[in-house]
Amino acid sequence: MTDSAVRFEGISKFFPGVQALSDVTLDVAAGSCHALCGENGAGKSTLGKILAGIYTPDSGRLFIHGREVHFGGPRDALAAGVGMVHQELAFCDNLSVAENLCLGALPSRRGLVAHDELERRASAMLAEIDATVDVRRRLGELTIAQQQVVQIAAAVGSGARIIVFDEPTSSLSHHEASRLFDLIGRLRQRGVTCIYVSHRMPEVFQLCDTVSVLRDGKHVDTRPTAEITEADVVRMMIGRPLAEYFPMHGSSALGDEVLRVDALTCAGKFENVSLALHAGEVVGLAGLQGAGRSEVACALFGLEHVQHGAIYVRGSPAHIGGANEAIRYGISLVPEDRKRQGLVLSETAMHNTSLPTLHRFSRLSWIFRAKERRETRELFDRLRVRTPSLDAVVAGLSGGNQQKVVLAKWLAARPSILILDEPTRGVDVGAKAEIHALIGELARNGTAILVISSELPEVLTLSDRILVLRQGRLVGELSRAEANQERLLRLMAGLAQ
Amino acid sequence: MRAFVRRIVSSQETGLVVVLVLLTIALTLLAGSHPDRATGETINNFWNSHTLIQTATDASFFAIMAIGATVVIISGGIDLSVGSIYALAGVTMALVMRMLGPMSGTSTTLVGLVVSVGVGLLCGLLNGALVVGLRVHPFIVTLGTMWMLRGIAFVATKAESILVPSSLTAVTKAPLGLGGGLYPVPMLSMLVLTLVGTVYLARTVMGRHIFAFGGSIEASRFAGLALNRIQIGVFAVSGLTAGFAAFLGASFYGSASSGDAQGYELYVIASAVVGGASLIGGKGSALGATLGALLIVLIRQSIRTLHLDQNYEWIVIGCAIIVAVVVDQWSTRLTARRLSRATT
Repeated sequence: MTDSAVRFEGISKFFPGVQALSDVTLDVAAGSCHALCGENGAGKSTLGKILAGIYTPDSGRLFIHGREVHFGGPRDALAAGVGMVHQELAFCDNLSVAENLCLGALPSRRGLVAHDELERRASAMLAEIDATVDVRRRLGELTIAQQQVVQIAAAVGSGARIIVFDEPTSSLSHHEASRLFDLIGRLRQRGVTCIYVSHRMPEVFQLCDTVSVLRDGKHVDTRPTAEITEADVVRMMIGRPLAEYFPMHGSSALGDEVLRVDALTCAGKFENVSLALHAGEVVGLAGLQGAGRSEVACALFGLEHVQHGAIYVRGSPAHIGGANEAIRYGISLVPEDRKRQGLVLSETAMHNTSLPTLHRFSRLSWIFRAKERRETRELFDRLRVRTPSLDAVVAGLSGGNQQKVVLAKWLAARPSILILDEPTRGVDVGAKAEIHALIGELARNGTAILVISSELPEVLTLSDRILVLRQGRLVGELSRAEANQERLLRLMAGLAQ
Repeated sequence: MRAFVRRIVSSQETGLVVVLVLLTIALTLLAGSHPDRATGETINNFWNSHTLIQTATDASFFAIMAIGATVVIISGGIDLSVGSIYALAGVTMALVMRMLGPMSGTSTTLVGLVVSVGVGLLCGLLNGALVVGLRVHPFIVTLGTMWMLRGIAFVATKAESILVPSSLTAVTKAPLGLGGGLYPVPMLSMLVLTLVGTVYLARTVMGRHIFAFGGSIEASRFAGLALNRIQIGVFAVSGLTAGFAAFLGASFYGSASSGDAQGYELYVIASAVVGGASLIGGKGSALGATLGALLIVLIRQSIRTLHLDQNYEWIVIGCAIIVAVVVDQWSTRLTARRLSRATT
């Protein structure tokens, strides 16, 4: 293995509630562009972050150019020649480009920062990768694409011979992406090994010579891209027998149309989205991360500024200017980020549950606590929320129980339209099954439900109908009979059927 | 019942009460005594009705303002302008009284109360509107209004001290049957406001919303709360309590000037924080604020009672604030650890 730039040997990594990687062994050839593919949560980003020193593996060994290494942090990885270009920013956006590039070793004269020297060095680092960015601008003023260029310059400038790209194109325009690909091509000509984490097939096949597929934290296969097709990779990513997933609830007779969205546009987030929801129907909204799924949900809940389009609730036009108005229209949203958007972590389970519906338990601002307690207790019993008491602070509850509190909170609003954004993320298997059963039950009782999930099996299990978003546009609709993981993934990634 | 007892024992206010009681016992034991001039009885230098009520009266002005400050702090904000609101409300009341001339006792009280509380409320609304409208951090907004409001008071009074009608002083200095130069009205007002504040925070929708807002603005937005109204509301409450404290203070001492309550904002914030309010927001109580104010005043009093060098007062109070907050953080962390162990 003399030509191996990176060797992962038996790498495992456990996060609370999920085995992110188990026993992954794979080699990355020196000078190659190696893709790491997999569904959301397959472990591809985790593997990249282990290589860049951000995570330490629980077990297994890591070799760089044949020498075993132990990284205590990104600094160690950089010293060994491994740099990473992050999806989110890993720099100080309040400092200038030059300062960011030289942050580790600011040039100084008599204790003061030597600005001319600083700018000269930074410009040299950028010139090294044939990039031009004004080094005096604050990093935060740059576009995401320019910030990535700065990250790459920093990695190369500090001697990185191996660079990990973590979903670099997820927030780039088409034009910006092609400039990034040119840059990656130039890096390869200089012998830099690139590891490209992505689930976008066209990019993978355009850029990379080798592709490794991960599924559920396990290494499935590594193949040269010349030998396989995009469809092969997609099949490897899915892998499971599809028979495992069967419909949750029989398609009952469709009720009236309760929600209609007409050409809704939110600049920079999504465009021209039209959809309809009927009583008793579960509609899935699928898409890759950054496709605009949560943004659509927030827009329906009055939390995004909408430029064009109209929303109709039960046939009449609805002007939803905020969450309180959405609630009045009978819309509930279980948000994506439970800990930030769903819960006030410092408050008790009961206070969290009753927060949007306090008006029902109060008159002239005075809260009738007995009634509040009784109704919360009923909801908790129904959802089987396990808490020491109604007055337990939610920060201390498990993920599954926290999620059930969020569900209880929004069921308390008695919605006729329920939007669920990642309803089972980070939830254990038991609670997940309970939540799925609840969704089926709500639909049978006539609630119109829109489910967003990054887990395709979940979308397939729950939905009567699935809409697919790609880069802010609706690109397809599949009925339950038509839908399977492969077709969904192809639509999501923008492949021909 | 056992759960109730455990909740009381483990609550933060209990810790403060214990500290207050211990400090009182220590002071009583160490204070020494003197013979009463009239009766010849031996009287403890600290444990006598006069000193005790005097201490409570001193604390009452801070405490009332600290309850308002706590409401702001629970929302995650801060109000530095309470001392200036106090001064402006006090002088406005005194000026209005002087303009209106002599009136009956009841109408004097009523007018005084309406004017001072009204001015306080308006100033609070101004703070809230500036914070919400300009999207500037409360620290900066109230730092600005702290100078502005005191400046207005200064200009309006031409730096004079304005006398308050004696009929008003008679109300706030009413003996209420105690006699012997004891004036319990400020102390009783403090107790009533503590009760009102506790009920407001714990039992009303507004209180619940303030805790949610301070705990997580994002989650509150997703829950459909009227964020701007909540934020304006907390500053209104803070201004209101400062206005009420000004009514009590100006009528109790018989005059108002633009220099009144200078530096009170820091005592008030210290009281709230010692009482368990967290500057990050989402945590605090009205009872805690009152107990915090009592503790700070008691520490100040102990320096006098024990004939220590007065010059050390600030050093001792400064240390006490830091110690109180650190102890509170330790106990919160311990409780959190016990909680997480209980659920796993």
